Amino acid sequence: MEFLTPFKIAFSLLLAADPELMGIIRLSMLISLSAVACSLAIGLPVGALLASMKFPGRQAIIILSNTLLSMPPVVVGLIIYILVSQSGPLGWTNILYTPYAMALAQTVLVLPISIALSRQVFETLNSEYDRLFISLGISRWQRIKTLVFDARIALVTIALACFGRAISEVGAVIIVGGNIRHVSRVMTTTIALETSKGELGIAMALGIVLLSIALLVNVASQFISAHFKKAGLDV
Amino acid sequence: MSDHARHNTAIVTATHVSFRTDNQTLLNDISLHIDRGTITMVLGHNGAGKTLLLSALHGLITPQTGKISGPVRHKQKMVFQKPVLLRRSARDYFNYLCPGLDDATIESWFEKAQLDSRLSTPARQLSGGESQKLALIGALASQPDLLFLDEPTAHLDFESIRFIETQITDAHKSGMTIVMTSHNRAQAERLSEQIIFMENGKIVETADAKTFFSAPKTDAAKIYLNHY
Repeated sequence: MEFLTPFKIAFSLLLAADPELMGIIRLSMLISLSAVACSLAIGLPVGALLASMKFPGRQAIIILSNTLLSMPPVVVGLIIYILVSQSGPLGWTNILYTPYAMALAQTVLVLPISIALSRQVFETLNSEYDRLFISLGISRWQRIKTLVFDARIALVTIALACFGRAISEVGAVIIVGGNIRHVSRVMTTTIALETSKGELGIAMALGIVLLSIALLVNVASQFISAHFKKAGLDV
Repeated sequence: MSDHARHNTAIVTATHVSFRTDNQTLLNDISLHIDRGTITMVLGHNGAGKTLLLSALHGLITPQTGKISGPVRHKQKMVFQKPVLLRRSARDYFNYLCPGLDDATIESWFEKAQLDSRLSTPARQLSGGESQKLALIGALASQPDLLFLDEPTAHLDFESIRFIETQITDAHKSGMTIVMTSHNRAQAERLSEQIIFMENGKIVETADAKTFFSAPKTDAAKIYLNHY
């Protein structure tokens, strides 16, 4: 095959908005955005709590979440697989080989990122604001609300970082999703499959989309940081 | 309220208060009382423990020994030497410091501080003088019984200093008790009624302002006054 052929096929598929290709992109986005939303919903309060409170087991949670940061995705996939397989404790949910299991795997994968990054941001803010909180007699709940609101810009960049990690994940989602056509096939798993079949055109098309998303995420992150730093709203 | 009536009750008292870090005693057996309705100036060289004393009296730090009693939390405010600025507009920041005021009242405070053009400016983009004025009006607007001011005019221009001193005088006239630190002798003479002079974490002299500046009792105070 000529070197440029996959690129030509890729661009023709993208320009023609190939329905199967669009379906895969749509499903990937849906799964990853759901995973990011879930991981932020859990990770941000946990991060704020870890940053603003001292309680027994706090250090253990920090060590655990930091350890999970370096957990290989295939291991996450394997654990989720065991949990949701028919004989597993979550077997009753019947979500194995569905997008739900894939979103769950991605959530578990990016949750430590959202906890670690948000804790870092909240700790910085909390130590800066601590005197003011004490002086004004701010309650614990108000304190967390203030931290989350004032960290809003940093939290957007955390969400982008989580999304970038989730969308590019392959190891875990291929184990729990099964890469079933029209059901659980996402960009990364399709690239792996099509490459193994020698169908480099569709693999390249999805590669271009993934790279474009990574580029967009980085540009957005840089823009947000630079713009809000100028306005004094960065952390 | 007559001067006699309002000067006769202590609003803050500290009894044998000490605060230590691992290898240093930063506040050493401090006992004092601050009379209601007075302006008390805490003086001393850098590192004497002035800011720490204000922090202890305001409840920002907990001394290892001794007892401090003062008004309930929402009846006392503190303006820090470097204000803690939230990441929001000047108006929202003011609202955070003093919640529940209507727009007209907020705007009149900003006008008074000549900050009316800065209402929507992010608080962290204000200059040093502007942010100090904002923190002060945020504290004053909540009408506390007791106000701690930690070097409120350090590094500020003449206009900002004049504004802050006027606000302090007005607040005092309305019956507010003010405890502040300053390195400016002229300012201390202009504003204060009572002086607490500190050295190495200890109170070495307390006196009314006139006596302290005209006839200090201790050598440490004499040396200090010769320097400033």
